Amino acid sequence: MSTLSVRDVTHSYPTSPRRVLTDVNLEIPEGEMVAIVGESGCGKTTLGRLISGLHQPSEGTIEFNGKDINSLRGGERKQWRRRVQMVHQDPYGSLNPGLTLAGTLAPGLLVHKVATHRTVERTMIDLLQQVGLDATPAFLNRYPHQLSGGQRQRVSIARAIGLEPDLIVADEVTSMLDVSMRVAILDLLIKFRQERGLGYAFISHDFGVVRYFARGGRIAVMFFGRIVEEGPVDEVIISPAHPYTRMLLESIPIPDPVLARERHLDQAERLIGTPAQKGCVFANRCPMVQPECRTAMPPLAPTPGASGDRPRRSACLFPERVEPLTHVQKERVLKEHHVATVGGGQRDDRPGNRDVDPGLGGSSGDQEPSEQVG
Amino acid sequence: MTITTPRVAPTASRSASLLKVDDLTVQFGRGPGQVKAVEEVSLTLERGELCALVGESGCGKSTLAYALMGIVPPPGKVVGGTIEFQGNPITSMSKNQLNKLRGAEMSMVFQGAMNAFNPVLTIGTQVDHILEAHPDVHPTKQAGRQYFAELLSLVQLSPERIVKSFESQLSGGMKQRVAIAVALLLKPALLILDEPTTALDVLNQRMVIEILKDLHRELDLTIIFVTHDLAVVAELATKVAVMYAGRLVEVGDVDAIFAGEFRHPYVKALISAIPSVLEAGLTVKPIGGQVPNLAQLPPGCRFAPRCGLAEPHCTEVEPALTVRGDHGVACHVIARETGPDTTTFPSSKEDA
Repeated sequence: MSTLSVRDVTHSYPTSPRRVLTDVNLEIPEGEMVAIVGESGCGKTTLGRLISGLHQPSEGTIEFNGKDINSLRGGERKQWRRRVQMVHQDPYGSLNPGLTLAGTLAPGLLVHKVATHRTVERTMIDLLQQVGLDATPAFLNRYPHQLSGGQRQRVSIARAIGLEPDLIVADEVTSMLDVSMRVAILDLLIKFRQERGLGYAFISHDFGVVRYFARGGRIAVMFFGRIVEEGPVDEVIISPAHPYTRMLLESIPIPDPVLARERHLDQAERLIGTPAQKGCVFANRCPMVQPECRTAMPPLAPTPGASGDRPRRSACLFPERVEPLTHVQKERVLKEHHVATVGGGQRDDRPGNRDVDPGLGGSSGDQEPSEQVG
Repeated sequence: MTITTPRVAPTASRSASLLKVDDLTVQFGRGPGQVKAVEEVSLTLERGELCALVGESGCGKSTLAYALMGIVPPPGKVVGGTIEFQGNPITSMSKNQLNKLRGAEMSMVFQGAMNAFNPVLTIGTQVDHILEAHPDVHPTKQAGRQYFAELLSLVQLSPERIVKSFESQLSGGMKQRVAIAVALLLKPALLILDEPTTALDVLNQRMVIEILKDLHRELDLTIIFVTHDLAVVAELATKVAVMYAGRLVEVGDVDAIFAGEFRHPYVKALISAIPSVLEAGLTVKPIGGQVPNLAQLPPGCRFAPRCGLAEPHCTEVEPALTVRGDHGVACHVIARETGPDTTTFPSSKEDA
């Protein structure tokens, strides 16, 4: 059982006194997908880099199987290095332009003795095949500039999974790709999860991508260096328990012009702004802020009604007042209508209890059991 | 907020369309290696429209936008067709005439607006330079600065702070909004934006969408924006032009592009490839293959190798735009039959 735990991590870079992360606690059990979501500058990439050991946290620890990763030495440290891999955001910047694909893939395989000099070419060709690239020796001699963005990202993935890791930190892996390519890359990552039981720390600002990728997993929403909400993906998306999560969800453009026009949006000036210095960091931008919010930062605590050993958590004093998004539900109604009129499908087999008139379904923070999809 | 409506060019015939692109072809290189990044594209834009140019990377959408501004980078060249802006043919204008037009009548926000500013001058100084180069738009420099301050408020920024800032002191989202304000400084009638929301997170993206909607309404602007994100298109556009491998494959009203049977299979595939936060997003399908190399185009329809509807005929004859009302689709199959639900993109069928 290999669990990665982030314990009370606070971090700032040496160049600035600003805290990039404050009191972050997060568990990633073996084989689980945890999506880390938030706006630019919220610290999600820093958290990813701490998890993969690229930086040491200023305070707190990152533990792998109960051991502080910064205390690991020698063979143990090397072992851990192999088991936690990272796929970076920018497929144009994360591959060495001077190395062929063989030059990129081989060293890791040899250093970690996944392959020997005799078998390394075979191993690399297998890897190319697994990530959906042209599995030939000739392809191994290509340079990154001869590849498209999607192909490069596949090479990055091959480099990571080649070392047979337990956890992959995927930092915005699809944000620089064309829409047509995104799903293919996500499907590839999902395939490895299913085949090998890989866990993912999946960093993204795109809830659509997160909902697709992290089905059955969990989501941690970050705001200004803190986790403000954490819970199962579908629960968080369908009924957010923090106003910041709701704001993020509400801002997502919807690929449906009719729904987009019908939607009521919060005022734009709330979308962006500086965090509050005192009390809840989100208070300045919060549409439901109360005087109590200005006194102290609410801790990340289980939401009312949440149970189990990993209850859903929110850092809001009034999680039950956060209204679910009606358009997420409305879309379901439209789709059912479509299914009914077309008569084509029994596709909608998901729980029916939430499908009441979206106009009535609002206000309460009822916790629905999340359905596992896929 | 009081802002005067943009002045109308004296030469413009008021009844004509703002922009008329006819049979435009933009070519890069010569001889056997030549590629046509834009090929035989025709497009008409009325005043006040908010038009999206959509497609994957390498479809020619940015090149088309550059051609509209008359700034196709060499070795690219407009080799055929015409562009008329306010009744004046841009394609045959002299450099001087074009310089008068650019900025003042049509203006562009480039992709990666984050790198559009001079890092060693404050935003205010850079705006002064623009005002000095175009002294005829605002009566005084002071009036120009005042107008810029109003624009900054419109894009939800504080004017006092921004004009004193250097580029490095602003976040990516702020720079994008400042770039939009600068582009509007000379009161253009047409604003072209290349991928205005691409590098931004959801909140900044939403901000830019709302701001463009406001500007469109308040300044009576006509806007063209280039994007590959159909969700942004659905939120913002009134009219959509979809390009594939240099050709226009579908053009029409935004509602028509997102619903109904008379739609190009490429557009349907693009829409079903969006992982959405809505539940429909759970059934997304990637589009197999990739945009063909423009130097080695397949015969017939350029989308045929990736298309689930392709018939033998499709790989022989390139389809022309079939127009119904103001909605055009370049597909043999769709043009022939628009019967009930036979046109669903096959890859999304099996999941039903």
